Amino acid sequence: MNDLERFIEKSELVGSENLVLSNDEFSMLLKKERFDYVDVPSFNLKKDVRAGEEGIGTALVEVDYGIAETGTVVLDSCEENKRLATCLAEKLLVVMPLSKLVSTLNHVADFLEERTSDKGGYVAFITGASRTADIERVLTVGVHGPKEMTVYILNDL
Amino acid sequence: MKIHDQINEKLKDEVLYKNLKNFATAYKASKENAYKGLDFESLRTRVHDLKDRDLNKVMQQFNQFRENVEKHGCKVFQAKTGEDACKYIADVMKKHNAKYMVKSKSMTSEEILLNHYLEKEGLQPIETDLGEWILQLANEHPSHMVMPAIHKTRQQVAKIFADYTGEEVDPDDIKAMVEIARRFLRDSYFKSGVGMTGANVAVASTGTIGLVTNEGNARLSSTVPPVHIVLVGYEKLCDDFNQALDIVRVLPKSATGQTITSYTTWIKGRTPSYKNEEGIKETHYVFLDNGRLAFFEHPKFKEALKCVRCGSCANICPAYEMVGGHVYGDRYIGSIGLILTALYQGDEAAKDILKMCIGCRACSFNCPSGIDLQTLISDLKLVVGKKYGINPIKKKVFKNLVAKPDRMKSVLSMGANFQFPLTKTCKTNDEKIIGTVPMLPKEMDFRKFPALASKTFSKRFYKDGFDQFTSDRKVFFYPGCAVEYFYPEMGLAMVKLLQKSGIQVDIPKKAACCGIPAIASGDPDNAKTMIYNTIDNLQEPKDYEALLVLCPTCGGAIKHEFLDFTKEDPNRYKKASMLGDMVTPIGKFLEENNIKFKVKGNKKVTYHTPCHDSRSLGYSAESFLSNLIGKQFVPLTDSNVCCGFGGTYSLDFASISNGILNKKIENIQASQAELLVTDCPGCVMQINGGLMHKKVPVKVLHLTEFIENYLEII
Repeated sequence: MNDLERFIEKSELVGSENLVLSNDEFSMLLKKERFDYVDVPSFNLKKDVRAGEEGIGTALVEVDYGIAETGTVVLDSCEENKRLATCLAEKLLVVMPLSKLVSTLNHVADFLEERTSDKGGYVAFITGASRTADIERVLTVGVHGPKEMTVYILNDL
Repeated sequence: MKIHDQINEKLKDEVLYKNLKNFATAYKASKENAYKGLDFESLRTRVHDLKDRDLNKVMQQFNQFRENVEKHGCKVFQAKTGEDACKYIADVMKKHNAKYMVKSKSMTSEEILLNHYLEKEGLQPIETDLGEWILQLANEHPSHMVMPAIHKTRQQVAKIFADYTGEEVDPDDIKAMVEIARRFLRDSYFKSGVGMTGANVAVASTGTIGLVTNEGNARLSSTVPPVHIVLVGYEKLCDDFNQALDIVRVLPKSATGQTITSYTTWIKGRTPSYKNEEGIKETHYVFLDNGRLAFFEHPKFKEALKCVRCGSCANICPAYEMVGGHVYGDRYIGSIGLILTALYQGDEAAKDILKMCIGCRACSFNCPSGIDLQTLISDLKLVVGKKYGINPIKKKVFKNLVAKPDRMKSVLSMGANFQFPLTKTCKTNDEKIIGTVPMLPKEMDFRKFPALASKTFSKRFYKDGFDQFTSDRKVFFYPGCAVEYFYPEMGLAMVKLLQKSGIQVDIPKKAACCGIPAIASGDPDNAKTMIYNTIDNLQEPKDYEALLVLCPTCGGAIKHEFLDFTKEDPNRYKKASMLGDMVTPIGKFLEENNIKFKVKGNKKVTYHTPCHDSRSLGYSAESFLSNLIGKQFVPLTDSNVCCGFGGTYSLDFASISNGILNKKIENIQASQAELLVTDCPGCVMQINGGLMHKKVPVKVLHLTEFIENYLEII
């Protein structure tokens, strides 16, 4: 099993949707969908909004890494609006360049070191929607944060 | 409330019983799945080793962490006591005129009773983890470290939510209840002047904390309010991210059987914060000592500081599964809870709860930090037993009977001769049992007791001339008290079998107890006498191929505890060490010597793995047996889970023992086997006793008796 297959397997296990797309396919998709918050530097896309108590509908963000071992995406969200958007969106959509997919957790150790060496840093590993099993161990999503998650894996990037 | 009253109250709680039983089953499967393809032993060794440090090292890590955050204007407070930490946190809230503080889940805050303190000060902490919030509304404390409200049903939660919100809550709709939490807690992040989190790891190289959560409440608690307080114990420090990630790899797998949690968040100091006047977060780190730091220098108890708080020692503990975390632990829960209560709150607080450990060692083998939890509990039992005394009747029996082999022999022989008015034959299996034990308390009446054997094993060994058989190949057999006084036929079956294979069997000059009953009861002085007696009565090991045992608990004692108790006596220590190396369970000996059998009969057979076979001697006869009998073998669900015996535990905590036994019996019945084989006379006493009591017609045999009756050497 290669890293991509492993990533998708683990990501599906937590209920996320995974789509492997070319840049063109992704561009087409962007035309069709509307997002409340967008931060996708690879496509020069930015739509800034400060999510408040009432939350927002959707957030689309490009992530820094994907980790195959756990089906996780890694997002530097030190920027406050990005953090609020990804915490408070009903639906979180992430763009993961395939070239940023690494095999194991430890492959991002240097990245974590670099991004949190300075004054302030906030890096999130996100693996699926916000979830709880605190009532009778019944798995329920969306307790505080996003209720759904989609990963666009871009194989040209 | 006295401990037995608390236990009885929990045992009556059917909700708790069902929730914990279902969880125990589901957890095992998901944990196994989460670790699939990974080498659990090497992962936990790595965590164990990276957390292996002395006070000097941990203070180096702390100083590095402090330097990394202080240079950016964060505040670091070293709290000597829980009260110091509470006061500091209250002062930060007061300084900011913050009435509310949102909290994500922190066991460390439970340790110092932070909410209680803040409420007394007129401040309002708001728990945002769903389970913690439920308990805060219900005014209770967690019964599990990771799933705090595991003891609650959906109906109970619905009632709590209805009372709090004034809304109608559908008592069956968990999704709707989760929605209520989302709705009601959302505004708390925005109205709180301070957010508090714990830390699962604190990375020294940068001053970053790592938070492992599923709900996303820690992200909001650390993002929205203008001030962030981190409450963390020094033991959470690690050198760098590689170490932190090694911990993150095991923590969720062991905690809930998840490969990873939804969120693992890495936060460093002063992040942008629009709610703060300066546009940047004010961050405080409260490092808690509360008794921890001293134990980094303790040769044994420093192990407890390696805990990553996954809670898995509770998940697999058969006693926890019966009574839950409100009894099995205190502020911390499970095996580590028993230990940390003694270390942080003192032995007085721990002396009763420590006794609830049955000694099955499952936690030691399950801990992702490689802490030998059961040994630490056993050590602490000896400390509190010596300090606070043990049951006076037990003490007398140990001192005047069990620790004196000659007296034990004559008293029990007398017992065997005069027990006849009480004995009868069990109808389901024709075994000789005590019909009714006079004055037996009701809760202890859950199994039939075997009658004392009319002649001891040693007596029959000599009388039947088994000592006359000589050979170049010699093994030594330590029968232990159960075979000697109750089940001589188990020992004789083994002797006959080995002599048929041309092996001479020698036995001790005098039967003496291995000391385990005294150790498990917290009586080190009598344990030492028993161990010395045993060592002195065992022949010199050099003349033998192996030291065979039919009771793995005795075998485990010889291998492990004998060394601890002979440290001050070089001669005995040396002998104990040589004996320990030679200890071999009979199944292993037969396997290693390639003794071949053919099967007689076609009965369906299942196997119970004794705790101390698999976890003290590193062996289970399950595969040996299943290979031998092929299709006749049916696996037993939870074969290696304790049967609830634990020696005198089954009398001291009869109701817990009975509860554990009932689950074993359910599994045995579900296997539809006609015979249950095991290789520990203690397990035979418990399981057979329970089956006879319930009139379940499954025959229980020690491996040696099974071989004698159903196999033939070829």
